[in-house]
Parts: sequence; structure tokens; C-alpha cells
Amino acid sequence: MRFLSFQRQYGRRSVAISRALLILLLAQILSGSMCAAFADQAPQPDPAGTATGDKNSVADAAGNPFVVPEPTDTTSPDYAKNKKAFDDFQAQAAREPLALKLADGVGHDRIGSNFSWTLLTGYLVLFMQAGFALLTCGLVRKKNAAHLMMLNFAAYVFAFLAYYAVGYAFQFGAVAVNASPVNIGGAPTLNHFLIGSGQWGLLGGKGFFLTGPAYDAGSNCLTLFELVFMETAGYIIVGAICERITFWAFLLCELFIGGLLYPISGCWVWGGGWLSQLGSSMHLGHGYVDFAGSSVVHAVGGFCAMALALILGPRLGKYGPDGKPRAFPASNIVFVVTGTFVLLFGWMGFNPGSTLGATDLRIAVVAVNTNLAAVAGSAAAMLLWYRLFGKPDITMACNGMLAGLVAITAPCAFVSPTASVIIGVFAGVLVCLGVLFNERILKIDDPCGAISVHGYCGWFGAVALGIFADGAYGSGWNGVGAAAYLGKTGQGVTGLLHGDWSQFVVQLGGATLLAIYAFGATYVVFKAVNAWRSMRVSKEVELEGLDVPEFGMLGYPEDAVQMLSAGSQSPQRAV
Amino acid sequence: MKRIDAVIRPSQLDEVKQRVNALGITGLTVSEVRGFGRQKGHTETYRGSEYTVDFLPKIFVTIAVAEDLVEPVVEAIMEGARTGVIGDGKIFVSSLDDVIRIRTGERGPGAI
Repeated sequence: MRFLSFQRQYGRRSVAISRALLILLLAQILSGSMCAAFADQAPQPDPAGTATGDKNSVADAAGNPFVVPEPTDTTSPDYAKNKKAFDDFQAQAAREPLALKLADGVGHDRIGSNFSWTLLTGYLVLFMQAGFALLTCGLVRKKNAAHLMMLNFAAYVFAFLAYYAVGYAFQFGAVAVNASPVNIGGAPTLNHFLIGSGQWGLLGGKGFFLTGPAYDAGSNCLTLFELVFMETAGYIIVGAICERITFWAFLLCELFIGGLLYPISGCWVWGGGWLSQLGSSMHLGHGYVDFAGSSVVHAVGGFCAMALALILGPRLGKYGPDGKPRAFPASNIVFVVTGTFVLLFGWMGFNPGSTLGATDLRIAVVAVNTNLAAVAGSAAAMLLWYRLFGKPDITMACNGMLAGLVAITAPCAFVSPTASVIIGVFAGVLVCLGVLFNERILKIDDPCGAISVHGYCGWFGAVALGIFADGAYGSGWNGVGAAAYLGKTGQGVTGLLHGDWSQFVVQLGGATLLAIYAFGATYVVFKAVNAWRSMRVSKEVELEGLDVPEFGMLGYPEDAVQMLSAGSQSPQRAV
Repeated sequence: MKRIDAVIRPSQLDEVKQRVNALGITGLTVSEVRGFGRQKGHTETYRGSEYTVDFLPKIFVTIAVAEDLVEPVVEAIMEGARTGVIGDGKIFVSSLDDVIRIRTGERGPGAI
């Protein structure tokens, strides 16, 4: 790359505008930090973890806090009852000071148990990185093996750095305002929106470079967990852009996803931002809900991948002169299946982990629902493919399992096992049709089916939540209906089939918005990048394979002599 | 001196090797190749797109023999490699101008 000075290349006016924007951004960040410094009783970060978790964290199975809060709303019909409960608690506390001290220990242990859970499930999700690397490497041609592995590896490295620098702050800098993660201590220091406020937050503004308010045990627990989720969105794009993208362009994609694309929409849904608050602000169900990220992670990744694949164009030789797609068979089915199993295993962290707490016993239902959707999706894909083409394509069987997993990721905590099977079956069918649709009709070359598995099925999963959620879990989600919902106490997130059409509306709207956002933002940015400098390797490099030209080494060096068809379009291995 | 090249099915290599060894042959070279004759290829489908499998895996056996061993070796290879199904392969017999043992420098039939 040539390094022209910014000014020489873009002119004085652009420099002045850029400088002004930079100063504006820095001012916002600083003012956010200073506000915290001047506010009285501002929450202090707890880097050692010695001040996190006390009697205020203790709750019973139903979630009722041990420490009864003093009721402040004198106009509420329950005021008298709540006041009596508060007075009783105060009296008991005065008589049993040792119980209060014990409660401090219990609270700390509770938080500790939840920290373990969140971190360990986070490590499982981290391991999914290896699964996806195996899966995608096996699905492409052998001459690009090192390239695929390096894309997956570098994705982890660079998206991480972008998220560390600004992504986490953008996504969760204001989480304490509307979506405090109570199970892991609440992260009270992350309480400022950079853009937006109240129920209309757009972007968080605390915790840049994980310093200051983010140098806190609870915040770090959240950081680790949310980081690995962001990484998932980061590597999804590899499946669609591999075998023809240059490494430098890929790094830009990862920085973009980790620093901007993912955190922005992630803030809207999980960081206490406006989509999550639509239940309070516009009476739409419990607001936009996505338990573990069908839309936040998978749909965003999938539609970002779609935009990039569209800009890059299909691989050389993928489409014949008559427009018919040619097959580029997988080079290593062993990797494909092993990778899928690793992903399934990691998903046991992805979904159940999203309670952020082992004390939330719904984790068991989530785990079972996740597995059911996985196998239902795979079975449906296998049977459909067998019906259509006479043999159960192994790669489609794997894609079917992943489709089921992606689709159940949003609704897993809110639906029954029966609904999980139904969702899995729909996802398995959808991914098959999606792969054929992309390849034959849209003519978007997607080597690993990433757009269908993650984009289409991710969108579907978020919408399915609005259909199948049965209200058994999620009471008070996004601050809606804690006392009662749809006339019942304890009623949780509910979908169309169980009487809440507004949840369906917000799910459909929100999921569609996220898909359009991910596709649109990526397309605009990278169309410009591609116009500045092509993101695609040259024809010679693509035909030879990207291993040596891009990285100076072969994934399979012993093939240097044996690669008979390195430059041709025919399959690497005869059957 | 003659050179015998044979394209055979991979599954028949062991059978061929045993029969040829029984004749007292002192060495052979084997490589993995792809090819087709009248067996041709067939069509498969991968993720909804068709592709033809033209080149099938075969084993290429090369043996250098003295003139009088040509017929027995050819016979042995045929017996070992034949399955009766199209795709059994072919044997090529050609003349060898010279054979040299690298270690000692010997030339001619004594080097086989």
C-alpha cells in the first residue's frame, strides 16, 4: 500500500472537517467521563472485584430481592402493602444483624457463581472460533486452506482490538441506564449515552479502551462474554468472501465490524438502546427481544456478508457462460463435520450463557431447546435435500444443523421444546432454499452458505420469537410488565400464538431493520473502499490459490508437486 | 530390455504386486494417477450444482524386465488386475534403450 499523506490526497477542506469531527468526538467522550466525576454518589469502578456482590445482590428463586426496597411511589395502589413489607424488613434487620452480614456473603457468592458461568460459557463461545475455521476451511478448495485459516485467525485478532478500543464502549457504555446486567453486579459505572438518551439511546459512551469506568470486575466479565459474541459476527463474513478477498481488505472489514457495525446495533438491542425500550416507549410487547443474538449477531453478520459478497462478485469460474452455477466441491468433509460439532458444543455456551448467571435456572431449558432445534434443522435439511437431489448432502446436513442453531438463538429462552423443534425444521428448510436461491437466482457466490445460515435464518429466528414465545420466562424483560403482563403476574415474553401480537410486530420490524442496516451500512462503506482500491485479488492469484501469494506458504506443502489442477476450474479431487 | 507400464485399479495393486513378486521380479515403481478410458466419468451434485467426475483414481505401475520375462509379467499383471468390469486398465509394453544402476554405475540387462 502506498502511504500518501491524508492532506495531500484529500484536500484541505476534508482535513478541516475530519479534524472538527475528531474534536467533537473527543469532547463527547471527555464530557461523558467528566459528568461522572462531578455527579455526586457516582458509582465507582471495582477493578479488584472486592466491592461487587453483597446483600443487595441476594434474591430468591423467583427473583424477589432479599433487601426489600423502600417504596417511593406514594400514588401506587400497592403502596400500603409495599410500605408494610419494607417496615417489616427493617424491623427484622434490626433484630438479626448477623443475618444481614451473612447475606453480604451470600450475595458475593451468588455474583461469583454467575461470574464463573458467564466467563466459562464465554470460553465455549471462543472455542467456536476453531469450529468455524475448520468448517469453512473444509468447505473450500485445498489451494486456499492457509488463506481460510488465516482469515479466521486474523478475524479474532483484529475485530477484538477494534472492540477493545471503541466497540465495547459504543455497545455497552450506557448499559446501566436501561439494561443493567444484575446477575453480574449491574456494571453501574457504564451509564452514559454518547448519542441519544433515556429510552432513545443510540450509542454508548463509557469505557473506551476498557479504562476508567470499564476497569471494573463486573464490566470485564461482561466484556469477555460480549467480545466473543462480537467475534462470532466477525467470522461469519469469512464464509461468504473467502477465496477472493485480499487480506488488507479483510482486516478493514473486521475493524469495521468490531468497532462500528456490530456495536451500534448491539447497543440498540442489548446495551439498553432504543430497540430494547420500544416496550416502554411505544407499548410494543417487551420491546425488541433477542435472547442470545439471532439478529444481533447472526443476521448482522450474515447480511454484512451478503453486501460484501455482492461487491466482490463470484469466484472465477463459478458461473458458466450460460449463467449456470458450477460446483466447487468441499476439499475436506472431515473438517466440515468436526467443525460443525465444535460449533454445536460451543453453542452450549452461546445460548445458555446468555442468562449471564447460573442462578437463572432457565439455563437447562435453553440448553435443551438449543439442541432440539439443531437436530431438527439438520434432519429437515437432510430429508429435503434427499428428496430434491437423491442423496443427503453432508455439507447441507451441517448447514441445516447450524441453521437450526442460529434460528433458535433468539427465542431459546422463551419457547417450549415443541416450538424449538418446529423452529429448527423451518430453519432447516429455509437454509436449503436460501442456498439454492442465492446461488441460482440472486447469483451471489457464497462458498459456505453463510448468508443463508446466518442472515436468513438469523432474521427468521428473531421473528419466530414473536410467534412462538409462550410467556413462561422473561417477566419484566426490558423493564416491561414486571408486576403483571397481559393481566397475569409472572407472565413473560409472549408471542403471537400465545396472545401478544405486538411482540410479533416489534420482532418483525426490528429484525428487518437490523438486516437492512447491516446490509446497507456495509454496502455503502465497502463500495467506497472497493472504488478506491479493489478488494479482490488478481485473476492470476485467484486461479493459483491465495495461500502463497497472500501469505507466502501453502496450507498443504506436500501438494506443491501434486496439485494437478491448481489453475483449473475442475474439482481438486476426483470422487 | 523392455519397459512394462500398467494403469490398474487401486484396489488391485496388492494382487498385482503379489503375482509379479512370485515371478522373481526385482523391483517396480508405483504412482497415484488420475485418468479415464472407456470407463468415463459420471455426474454428481454438490449443494445443488452438477459436476462431472471425469478423472478417476488409478495406480500406475512401471517395471523394467528382460525380454524373456515380458509375457509372464504381462500375464501376471492381467490376472491380478482383472475384475471383469469396465475400468480394469491397460498395459503398455515399450522398448528400453538403457538401464543404469545409480549406486554402482552398472548398465544394461545386469542393472535391472
